[in-house]
Amino acid sequence: MENKEYLMGNEAMGRGAVEAGVKVVTGYPGTPASEVLEYASNYPNVHVEWCINEKVALEIAMGASLCYTRAMAVMKHNGTNVALDFLMHLNYTGVRGGLVLISGDDPGGISSQNEEDSRIITHLDAHLPVFDPWCPQEAKDMVRTAFELSEKTELCFVVRPVMRVCHARSRVNLEEIASIGKEPFFEDDRSRFIMSAVREPKAGGVLRPVLRHKWLNEKQPELLQIMEDSPFNYLEEGDGNIGLIACGIGYAYLKEAEKILGKKFPTLKLGTLPLPRDKILKFARQMDKLVVYEDSEAVVQGLLKELLYDEGIEVEVAGRSGFLPKEGELSTEVVLASLASLYPELKKSLPKSEPLAINVPIRTRTQCIGCSYRGLLHALKLIARKTHGIVTGDIGCYDAGSFLPLELQSTIYCMGSSIPVATGIAYSGSKQPVFSIIGDSTLFHNGILGLLNAIHNAVDMVAIVCDNRTTAMTGFQPHPGSDTDITGKPVAAIDIAKLATAAGATSARLVNPYNIPEVTKALNKAVKEKGVSVIVASSPCYLLGRRTGDIGFTPRKVTLDPDLCNGCKICIDYFGCPAIHFSEGKATIDQATCVDCGMCVVVCKRGAIK
Amino acid sequence: MNLNILIAGVGGQGNLFASAILAEYFINQGFEVLAVETIGAAQRGGSVVSHLRISDSAIYSPLIPAGKVDILMGFEVLEMLRNFKLLGTDGSYLLNDHKDPTVLCNMEMDTYPSDETITAALQKSGKKGYTIKATERAREIGGSLLTNVVMVGALCRLSPLFNSQEVKQVLAHKSPAKVRESNLKAFEAGGSLILEAIRQS
Repeated sequence: MENKEYLMGNEAMGRGAVEAGVKVVTGYPGTPASEVLEYASNYPNVHVEWCINEKVALEIAMGASLCYTRAMAVMKHNGTNVALDFLMHLNYTGVRGGLVLISGDDPGGISSQNEEDSRIITHLDAHLPVFDPWCPQEAKDMVRTAFELSEKTELCFVVRPVMRVCHARSRVNLEEIASIGKEPFFEDDRSRFIMSAVREPKAGGVLRPVLRHKWLNEKQPELLQIMEDSPFNYLEEGDGNIGLIACGIGYAYLKEAEKILGKKFPTLKLGTLPLPRDKILKFARQMDKLVVYEDSEAVVQGLLKELLYDEGIEVEVAGRSGFLPKEGELSTEVVLASLASLYPELKKSLPKSEPLAINVPIRTRTQCIGCSYRGLLHALKLIARKTHGIVTGDIGCYDAGSFLPLELQSTIYCMGSSIPVATGIAYSGSKQPVFSIIGDSTLFHNGILGLLNAIHNAVDMVAIVCDNRTTAMTGFQPHPGSDTDITGKPVAAIDIAKLATAAGATSARLVNPYNIPEVTKALNKAVKEKGVSVIVASSPCYLLGRRTGDIGFTPRKVTLDPDLCNGCKICIDYFGCPAIHFSEGKATIDQATCVDCGMCVVVCKRGAIK
Repeated sequence: MNLNILIAGVGGQGNLFASAILAEYFINQGFEVLAVETIGAAQRGGSVVSHLRISDSAIYSPLIPAGKVDILMGFEVLEMLRNFKLLGTDGSYLLNDHKDPTVLCNMEMDTYPSDETITAALQKSGKKGYTIKATERAREIGGSLLTNVVMVGALCRLSPLFNSQEVKQVLAHKSPAKVRESNLKAFEAGGSLILEAIRQS
């Protein structure tokens, strides 16, 4: 009997791994992929762990694979960059137990700092096989298959879902949970697992990196054959001589467009890298033109051109190199517009959509009402203004301080960049004081390296750690500073202030970010010190604390006296709590959304907020 | 049958729960369901849009294509206006008369549209729809967090596609014990609000 459950794509992938008998699942939280681990953590026989960062996650998964155990590492595209160094050696050594890497992409940069396509580093760079699912069911099937093929080929398999697959919810087939696997055992094979520039006596003294590179290259024909026979690549008949190549989520949008237009186009649905060579050549020979729908770079388009060139097939290949937009997310609308440009008679069948004749203000990002970071950012904003300080930022909830109204942080790159960028600013000879601001999870992730480097080199800087005891932005995952793990089991919480002290920071002040005078005092002292002064602004995330009963302030009813408010807007422009509204020259407090944190009482210099 | 429901609100309004109730109801009826949320990087306060697609045949894109939304539920006024362009020619809207001002509006760098401007724009669009005070009613019952359930209750009375009793059963089943009673109350209140709105129109 059919056993279906309504699951999101991430849960479906977690389920796929569990069904395949995975024993170790590791990762670092990041939208769009976080829920994969959370799903797997419901199975007590699977060791599931949020790791300090993605490189460590992949390394742990490989360690398990070495003992013939099935393992999986889960991350978002930015995280795959962090894991890349290890991946570029793991591809040469190969694996033992099935090893799957899930790299969730975010075309459109909806929850990310960039819209990188991780097929490029995992396939074009690392030469690993990649599956690109179009829906939750296929994502689950791909994860299951990836484990089997990983063991068969001794290669790490990559599954690259885009956000719309990760977050889509639909009914997914559940299958039995396999109890596979040999008993874990370790055996040495130093010729594989010692990656080093050593000469191989058995291979006539060839250097090992060259030899293992050759091994990886010699795997490619086997992969080609697997993808040729793969159920994830198939042909659909249709009218016309323009062949449509639909990769991953591109297939969903193309099928949707066909449904809207009531048409069927000749389509080759693709879900694998390497590409199924023969299927493509056969298809291409019948067509006058090919159009590739893929998210988000022209990866398949480029590979196709190479393939057709080598075969001497002269067919135009259009896609994300310009025929379709080069940036942003693919969508049904993009596919429809492209089809209407190929077949102008279809223009009349396009759905009509008109915006309202009204200006709709945008919503910029801000901290939640009750967020402790708002007090810290307010205090830092005033000190940075007074001292003409430069503030470098990092990734986390506090990064919203870089937008209006505060416009505090001057730079944001990737996880852990704040302290090294601040270091460079200090080295430039600039006379302005430098502040760096980084979150707890981000500090552990790899910000700690920049901090140690700065302390070691006695860089003059104030390094502020926003410690809300959780990875809040991605949904409250624990990190090495948390006292429980993903399953709720007590674990050792690493004390950030002690860590900074042990490393030799000039000072390490622990402050409550809800207490604005206390934060201000600490910042004023720290900015006058030589070397790295660390300030740990520590208080539980309000949203999480409200659930667990551990919040960082004593609630107090706050009111605003309109007679005392002179409309100076310090509470709006230098604090910006969404529960404070402003109209007709006066601030008001929206009692319905105010959570009684009372921080704004100190912010108001007129005594209007009580 | 093809039905596309879009729920537009701000983070923390419970889009996801509303979508999950409706999804389970339609799954119980034997339909295919495909849903997705568009969320930004923030936990609260940002735009959140839930796409819910129901059909008796295969559904492909998790996002409802522009011009294909049948029912647009606005949990917040601005968010509904923002997504109005997705509404189909025969689509209709159900709006909660609740305004969550933006940071830029508070800074007086942007203007939240006035009631008059909104009413005029909605009228000019020629689309059918109703506006109810769901958040206000939710607060009377027990808190603004019940807004989503009031809206679902209203939708179920508004559209013949729903069997109110069966949706209510799903709601009871999916509600945590400590909020079950207030959720059921909010659901009924939504029904009354929409019947009142229909009477007055």
